[in-house]
Amino acid sequence: MTTRAAVTGIGLVTPVGTAVGEVFDAVCAGRSGLSAPPEDHVLRGVVDVAAFAPPIAADTVIPAKEARFVDRSIVMALRAAEDALADAGLEVGRDVDPYRVAVVVSGVGGLDTLADQAVRRSRQGRLGVSPFLLPGVLPNMAAARTAIKFGIRGYTSSVGTACAAGGQSIGEALRILRAGEADVVVCGCSEAPLFPTLVDAFGNALALAKGWPDPTTASRPFDRRRNGLVLGEAAGVLVLERPGFARARGASVHADVLGWGATTDAYHPTTPRPDGSSAAAGMEIALRDAGLTAADVDYLNAHGTATKAGDAAEAKAITSVFGAAMPPVSSTKGVTGHMLGASGVVEAAIGIAALRHGLLPPTHNLDDPDPSIDLNHIRDKALAAPARTVMSNSFGFGGHNVSVILGHADA
Amino acid sequence: MTAEIRDFLLESLTEMKYPTDEIDEDTVLGPAGADLESLALAELALRVEDRYGVRFEADEADAFAGLTVGEFCAVVAQRITASAAT
Repeated sequence: MTTRAAVTGIGLVTPVGTAVGEVFDAVCAGRSGLSAPPEDHVLRGVVDVAAFAPPIAADTVIPAKEARFVDRSIVMALRAAEDALADAGLEVGRDVDPYRVAVVVSGVGGLDTLADQAVRRSRQGRLGVSPFLLPGVLPNMAAARTAIKFGIRGYTSSVGTACAAGGQSIGEALRILRAGEADVVVCGCSEAPLFPTLVDAFGNALALAKGWPDPTTASRPFDRRRNGLVLGEAAGVLVLERPGFARARGASVHADVLGWGATTDAYHPTTPRPDGSSAAAGMEIALRDAGLTAADVDYLNAHGTATKAGDAAEAKAITSVFGAAMPPVSSTKGVTGHMLGASGVVEAAIGIAALRHGLLPPTHNLDDPDPSIDLNHIRDKALAAPARTVMSNSFGFGGHNVSVILGHADA
Repeated sequence: MTAEIRDFLLESLTEMKYPTDEIDEDTVLGPAGADLESLALAELALRVEDRYGVRFEADEADAFAGLTVGEFCAVVAQRITASAAT
């Protein structure tokens, strides 16, 4: 029986680059992806700081005649999927039966494009709404269009657990492979939240960092002066395979997904359960699922969005699970911002790079650690340490807790 | 009238990112010619409705696929005339 999944492909579109090496260098060196909105961006004057990914012309991933109303989240997902499959050297139909490939690509969907069409509807009435709206914005369309683009005909779905959706997509992929329902799963998440309505929704909920004249200092996970998250946009897609299938086709394996756990706070729609008990239970389930103990984890990439309540609850959860065996911990969101559901995939890719390079990225902007948070922080610079096992946490509005465990490919 | 509709059609197709270089009176709008698929035909119907104040049902828009450019312009002109008469 398959107990683990081989990661053979990685595709990223992030505020700090599109190649895994580039992204990993940025988080290790503290090269920030945070900035004031560019002159011509719709967020100019709306928010002080955000994390912008590179522009991608829609007609580079979708035929021009279909591309006009396709939301940026779907465009980014398709670019990441294209890069991940190229990295895996996998061509559906040539290397694998199309019915033995699954897709789990998630995200909240094309809210920006939906909001734009809602404005047109109120101005122009019925005639203002494009017939192309639904295939351009539905939350399943990143997965469906990935299947269309690459001829994938097996199971497809998208996970709707907000900022936990990326991590959960990886977990779902592992479950599909373990169940023998596919040989390959293309899994990931894409989020494009950088438009005024959604930014104001976060801002009015008092979730955004503010008052930092230097935008690169605004995201401060676990720091005493942290005062909110910085929104970012990103897509991340991984190609996971049954290890035997990957071996048989001679694929190069970046790392293994060893296990995962998911729980729910059942507490509040947005505030995390303050004692972190459900998040802790999720981490423990992930450890058991991977056949590991807390002492086996060499690095923990925290969710750490830099909100007051979120960081405090996660720290309690980590402390309760790991105690004296706590591994080095960091949140890479000080550099990337919070890329919502895509964070779980981008951070899994960072974890994979940490396993490969024996280098653990620090928490950027952690100048003055919150004294009420008792973690084994990596600060100031990357920590050289051979790592065999990495845990990556993702938590979402709604109280969704997901922990994914990655292992060195040679383990 | 049909000449104006034809210009409007070509303008619409360009905005919809369809190439118009090889389109003439006898080009079929659907897959056999200009290659408009179902949602594109719906958008074309919507544009005509917006421009000329006429109304098409869903099955009428689907049926555009089988019309040539010339036939399409004639159908729209006829609809405009009928609409003006009521």
